[in-house]
Amino acid sequence: MAPTAFREDYVEADGVRIRYMEVGQGTPLVHLLGAGGLRLTRAHDLLCRHVRVLAFELPEGPLPEHTLARAVATLGLDTFDLMGTSSAGAAALGLALQEPRRVRALVLEAPAAIRPDNRDADLERRLSGLTTPTLVLFGTADDVVPPAMGRVYKALMSNCHLVFVYAAGHAISADRPEAFAEVVVDFLERHEAFVISRAQTVIHP
Amino acid sequence: MKISFFETVRYRAPEALPPEWPVPSGAYDRDAGAAAYRGMIERLEYVEELGFDWVSVSEHHYSPRILTPSPIVSAAFIAAHLKRITIALLGPIVPHSNPVRVAEELAMLDTMAQGRLVVGLLRGTANEAMTYDLNPQEARERTDEGMELILKAWTEPQPFGWQGRHFQYRTVSIWPRPLQQPHPPTFALGTSRESCEFAARHHLGCGVSYGPFEVMAKATRYYREQCARHGWQPSPEQIIYRANMLVAETDEEAQALLRAQSNQAPFTMRAGVRDAVMTLDSRNIAGEARSPVVSGALPTTFVGSPDTIVEQVRRCREVVGAGVLDLSLHPPGSGDLDSLMRALELFGTKVLPRIREI
Repeated sequence: MAPTAFREDYVEADGVRIRYMEVGQGTPLVHLLGAGGLRLTRAHDLLCRHVRVLAFELPEGPLPEHTLARAVATLGLDTFDLMGTSSAGAAALGLALQEPRRVRALVLEAPAAIRPDNRDADLERRLSGLTTPTLVLFGTADDVVPPAMGRVYKALMSNCHLVFVYAAGHAISADRPEAFAEVVVDFLERHEAFVISRAQTVIHP
Repeated sequence: MKISFFETVRYRAPEALPPEWPVPSGAYDRDAGAAAYRGMIERLEYVEELGFDWVSVSEHHYSPRILTPSPIVSAAFIAAHLKRITIALLGPIVPHSNPVRVAEELAMLDTMAQGRLVVGLLRGTANEAMTYDLNPQEARERTDEGMELILKAWTEPQPFGWQGRHFQYRTVSIWPRPLQQPHPPTFALGTSRESCEFAARHHLGCGVSYGPFEVMAKATRYYREQCARHGWQPSPEQIIYRANMLVAETDEEAQALLRAQSNQAPFTMRAGVRDAVMTLDSRNIAGEARSPVVSGALPTTFVGSPDTIVEQVRRCREVVGAGVLDLSLHPPGSGDLDSLMRALELFGTKVLPRIREI
């Protein structure tokens, strides 16, 4: 398969210039990338067969509170799905909390927003009121953020679903892109109904 | 030293059976089967009385040699009849099981048996792969993943999904959880590099079987090295050695018993099947290749009078490092119950009391 042709562009909000890559058709998925910057993986190739991917490179340091929401609005996205990876998990949760009606569903890939040595009581209090359908993914071999942190999100958020991706480290989408993309696409399409398998088991009809 | 009795049910076939695996199901005699399971409980009551620490059961299919295709059913039946002994379920063959079901059933069993459960998880012998159409080339990977999923199902307090290579579940949240926390004492059974590494990584025990002390010591040494690499040290009770033992009043009698044994492999297969298994399966001892097919009888590593056996057990502890011996006191497939009971009595009265402190 030929490499997917991403279009690189910039969006400006509150005087902050944010670089992003876009590809695909359909429901927009805003992906806030982690500290590694704008590095796309095979998982993006797989995701863009199903959704319109807009991968954002977050500038270093904290953004003004509503800048991300304004940036997304500038791109003309009224409602959208949102994904945050690792250190961008906190920004994704912040945006979901600010814009509960615009964010249709939230995916957190190995989020670092809650860590055993750095619990944010205020964030955790606010999360308990977030009803956005949320998928939290941890690799079973993550040695950056303990996968056991997944249960904290699951316990706090009423519509949160925790999935362990076997044999993946912190960079789940790079380590097991097919497994990652399959569950993300299914969740974005069906939200909590994704627990019902649609796999075919007929060997010979 | 802890002592475990390996219970194989001892089906006594009224007529000679074909040796090849799978043994035709039509040759099964239901009266002989009923007698075998009744006899199992009577025997185990005696085993408990003699002071054995554990009784172990295993999973084998399509043959009368070890009549426990579902070791969980055996273990539950035994747990209900015996009140003190620990039940060692060694164990579910993980690659062809539903790991979540295994986690649930073992948690039930641990709770119903009031914490008298020990678990061994394993890949299974080469012929077992054929039982449920498992691709032998996938068996190792499915075992590792399945074991990890069982541990996760026991310990994760929140409902979770599992996006595996071979197993996929969108939601898992088992009830009951095990009585023993975080889970029953668990062993990864096998001599392979992969099995030892898995055990070390997850702080599990290790179990080896049948081979001579020096060969098994390669695996247990490798296991201990891997544990050290992961920053911990296993206790002797975390190493099980399963073996055949022939004990008699004198060394001469024991040697005569050994000479009288058949040298037939426990599971013979058609040549074409065996050759195909050899090319599809691979096995190793701490990384050194070994044949996936057992060509002769499994070795008997303890042979002699009570005095000789005590010395052999001492040597086993030194060389293999095992703190648990899981014993067949008679060839596992043999239906000669009188000899088995004599061996049990001799071992229980003349050997067992002397090896506890080893």
